[in-house]
Amino acid sequence: MAGDFQNLMMGLGIALQSYNIMIAVVGLVLGIIVGVLPGLGGANGVAILIPVVITMPATTGVILLSSIYWGALYGGSITSILFNIPGEPWSVATTFDGYPMAKAGKAGKALVISFLAHGVGAVVGVIMLTFFAPIIAEFALKFGPAEIFAVMMLTFSAFVGLGGTSPLKTVAAILFGFILAAVGMDIVSGQLRMTFGSVDLMGGFNFIVAVIGLFGLGEIFLTVEEGLNIEGIKARVGLKDLREGLQEIMRYPKALIMGSLIGCWMGLKPGGATPASFMAYGFCKQSYANKDEFGKGAPAGLIAPEAAAHGAGTSATLPMITLGIPGSPTMAVIMGGLMIFGLQPGPMLFKEHADFVWGLIASCWVGNFLGFFLVLAFAPIFAAVLEIRFAIIMPIIVYVCAIGAYAVNNRMIDVYYMMIFGVLGYLFKKLNYPLAPMVLALVLGDMAEQAMRQALIMGQGNPLIFFQPPLALPIMVAAVIIFFWPLISAWKRKLLGEPVRPSTVTTRPS
Amino acid sequence: MRKAEIFVAFLLIVVGIIALVDSVRLGFGWGMSGPESGFFPFYLGAGTIVCSLLVLINVLKEYKKGAAGQRLMPQGALTPILWVLIPATAMIVISEFVGLHIAAGLYLAFYMRAVGKIGWVTTILVSLLVPMSLYIAFDKLFLVPLPQGLWGAKLIPF
Repeated sequence: MAGDFQNLMMGLGIALQSYNIMIAVVGLVLGIIVGVLPGLGGANGVAILIPVVITMPATTGVILLSSIYWGALYGGSITSILFNIPGEPWSVATTFDGYPMAKAGKAGKALVISFLAHGVGAVVGVIMLTFFAPIIAEFALKFGPAEIFAVMMLTFSAFVGLGGTSPLKTVAAILFGFILAAVGMDIVSGQLRMTFGSVDLMGGFNFIVAVIGLFGLGEIFLTVEEGLNIEGIKARVGLKDLREGLQEIMRYPKALIMGSLIGCWMGLKPGGATPASFMAYGFCKQSYANKDEFGKGAPAGLIAPEAAAHGAGTSATLPMITLGIPGSPTMAVIMGGLMIFGLQPGPMLFKEHADFVWGLIASCWVGNFLGFFLVLAFAPIFAAVLEIRFAIIMPIIVYVCAIGAYAVNNRMIDVYYMMIFGVLGYLFKKLNYPLAPMVLALVLGDMAEQAMRQALIMGQGNPLIFFQPPLALPIMVAAVIIFFWPLISAWKRKLLGEPVRPSTVTTRPS
Repeated sequence: MRKAEIFVAFLLIVVGIIALVDSVRLGFGWGMSGPESGFFPFYLGAGTIVCSLLVLINVLKEYKKGAAGQRLMPQGALTPILWVLIPATAMIVISEFVGLHIAAGLYLAFYMRAVGKIGWVTTILVSLLVPMSLYIAFDKLFLVPLPQGLWGAKLIPF
């Protein structure tokens, strides 16, 4: 423990260097803009900047990438509250009570409450990250290939069992992602797979290109289709709003704590921030006496999802740096950034690159702290970004996406792939095929295959190696139970004779 | 909705078949050094086919009663989407010749003027300044080379 504290101080020393603070501010501002704009999310905001980041030192680069993520987490709320358009999937629940509150003339207060809730969620998430990351990493050092594969199975079965969309479509999307990852050279034997003699296919599909296409262009198609007419509420954040917001948030400690804890818990599991915000909203609504006020501008209904979204976003860092398994597409892209620096996320990272890991953790503290003051001070200015006509913003986004897709490998073919992924992303979203697990499958494809093959070699071809006690067995059993959770819960309901209760909140796939 | 569902399910089945056929070519059994190259893709392909078939059956069942279900996109939504898709594709094709920045400038000007009906002054300013600043930022400051196309190097001499 004492050692960890010392490490954290060392990390803070790195994160607080003036150059790194400047980079963090740049990242936060970019991130807030990315978060404010519908059609440009955290995942592709980070993806586009990956080529730029390569030119920096590793710690600085990752500070930039993660700052964009924190910025996007804050920024999404501005659009939700003032414009009733969720800037990000995880801020859908914010519109339920945030917009009515702003409409009632309390826009400034709503923003302050939302940012404060974000701040608390972030603090809880970062505390968890700081204290649990070293413990989990220490534990994960004992993992062999079978255990690594089992953890991945757990990750993917969480998408299937708890994802909320059709389990069949989820499995199909995951397998599709894995197939895309398998295209190109087989890392074990060096044979070419599914390339059919094409040189372009030899390089395989880069997941950053897929992210930019699926989330960037796909989202633009969705936005254009809805025909965006933006009518915002003008807001100024004054000292009075700040005081009132502070007083208000003190009155709802339950919503705050519940939101943060649900967020941190959900953030550990894949899927992350979006379901967390819905779940927190639902739970909060259940637990307060004044249910009728929810949806009409109840502060608690704003606090809970906001704290949950940010808590989940922050705690999603934990599985990424300790196990090398990103919980959300944005984290997957950040992890892709780490791998470009030659840093393989996972338990060894703590041993081999302690300065880097603690720099990152410290920058979570610094970034979230700075982000809070930035949005608070400049929320109206960021909201003004939305006053720009969409016909100007949209082609610029497409242009920037093309830059990002090209710069990953300096290949023109990737830009065409990006367009194809864009159309695919639109279709998948429309038909409820989840995109997040597909992207994760594409990211983890090679690693999963390698782990599986190594484990099978160790077990001389006996698949029972994946169920070997003491470590792989419980993880795999948990994975199987979660995978079949929809069936199990339906069966349990039938057994107990409970009526089928339609869920109160519908989760939108992120 | 129905047609789109069937189309995507078929697409996934085709992808699954490709993976399956290729893994049979590579061998999906137990080779000299453990599982062969096609081992993993074999199960991926098989799984994709099974899942997509089940999705397809569900879809056909759901829409059996003659109704095609909800429209995939609201009436008249296809036009704005194509207005994004086609010029963007054109931009990429053009950038094969003149480089991305010049192509993007043309694309910005075209979209803003033709679709957005934005005034000439704004159009020209944005479509000049944005590519220029991005060119300076990426190519000059961060030294990330962007596609020049066939003649791009001659068109931007500095």
